Amino acid sequence: MIAAWTLVAIAFCALGIVGYFALRSHKRRPDVEKAGQALQSLDIEAFRNLVDSAEEDFLREHLSPRKFREVQRQRAWAALLYAWEAGRAASALAQLAQTAQRSSDPEIVASGVQLAENAFRLRLQSLGACLYLLGGVVWPDLDTRSVPPLVDHYDRAAATMRRLGRLSSGAHGLARSRSA
Amino acid sequence: MLGANWHYVLLLFLWITPHVLLAGVAGILWKRCLYRELPCFTAFVLFEIAEFILLFTLRFVPGVTKEQYAYIFSATLLLSIALRLGVIDEVSKDLFRESQFLKVSASRLLQCVAVALLGMGVILAIYSPGDNSARWHSGVFVVNRGAAMVQCGLILSLFVFSRFLGLSWRRPAFGITLGLGILTSMDLATSALRAEFSGEVIRDFLNLLLTGASSVCVLLWIRYLLAPEVEPASLTLISGDEVKAWNTELQQLVRD
Repeated sequence: MIAAWTLVAIAFCALGIVGYFALRSHKRRPDVEKAGQALQSLDIEAFRNLVDSAEEDFLREHLSPRKFREVQRQRAWAALLYAWEAGRAASALAQLAQTAQRSSDPEIVASGVQLAENAFRLRLQSLGACLYLLGGVVWPDLDTRSVPPLVDHYDRAAATMRRLGRLSSGAHGLARSRSA
Repeated sequence: MLGANWHYVLLLFLWITPHVLLAGVAGILWKRCLYRELPCFTAFVLFEIAEFILLFTLRFVPGVTKEQYAYIFSATLLLSIALRLGVIDEVSKDLFRESQFLKVSASRLLQCVAVALLGMGVILAIYSPGDNSARWHSGVFVVNRGAAMVQCGLILSLFVFSRFLGLSWRRPAFGITLGLGILTSMDLATSALRAEFSGEVIRDFLNLLLTGASSVCVLLWIRYLLAPEVEPASLTLISGDEVKAWNTELQQLVRD
């Protein structure tokens, strides 16, 4: 009896989610400004500090195990929010790329195809980083030196993000998206 | 007596209506040449119409026993499940059309789910309780419930994935997925309740609910197949160089 009603509840939840997507689908528009703002809102230095293993070692040495776990949990949570925002920016870039793919200019179309591929990969990488950092929230003693590529090679990635941020600020005045 | 007749007429009406509307869907697919883009969905629509004609005819042919009807119903149900999975595969390919990377991953995932479903169906059909004559029939209903759950999960995954990755739907594919999502979730709910409550009244009520949901689903298909494709939001004053620059930077970020 419980199993049957559980399935009914799952079915109605699914129906609700499908309805939500049906209503929301018409409101989504690609927005290059949103992508730019999302990238600019990322404080690179703060994020670097949050995933810095030397900083973690310092905290481990100078704090009691209980306090260390508490602080480390907060650091992981903050880093997770950063990674999530980076993923959202990638999603917005993917939308921009899909719009570019419908351009009449073949060069823009080709660039749009590549941009979309990279945006999708970045989105999935950010998801991997988020899952890893979520592990850090649950198990604060987890060694952050084995972090996934997005965070592990952060120095180079951070420089790229800075350049992306500069580009987006330049694009603010130039790009406007309008719905037909 | 009058109440029973009214109920019977309503049941017939709700059984016939979605299939008449499906004929309209087939007409739209033909007129707008969408059968080229959506061959599996077209096959599904045509199969559903043919299935209805067959079952409706058998229902009123005096020589056909309940057992024979149940066997034919079960066989058509299994084919319908397979075609629905094909439709989900088709809309997922349409959704991931702009990325080779996503297209490959999604196809692999769907293949894995299809294999798991097949295995589950076989196991449930073999080990389901009951005598030999009823085993196959009840197994089909168990498979139908499992298939509804898997299809519902796949459709939700497509919606969540599209939102998460910022993918844009084309209107026909979105409408088909939306309608199928409603139909499979109602199918899941009614099949779960059908397994628990075997009374005649509840069974008829569940039939009414499912046929009503089918009508809503087909109306949604008609609406989305007839609606013109939304013109994509266009970017003005953004140069090709700028898109290239974004791409170069993002490529570096992904590789780092």
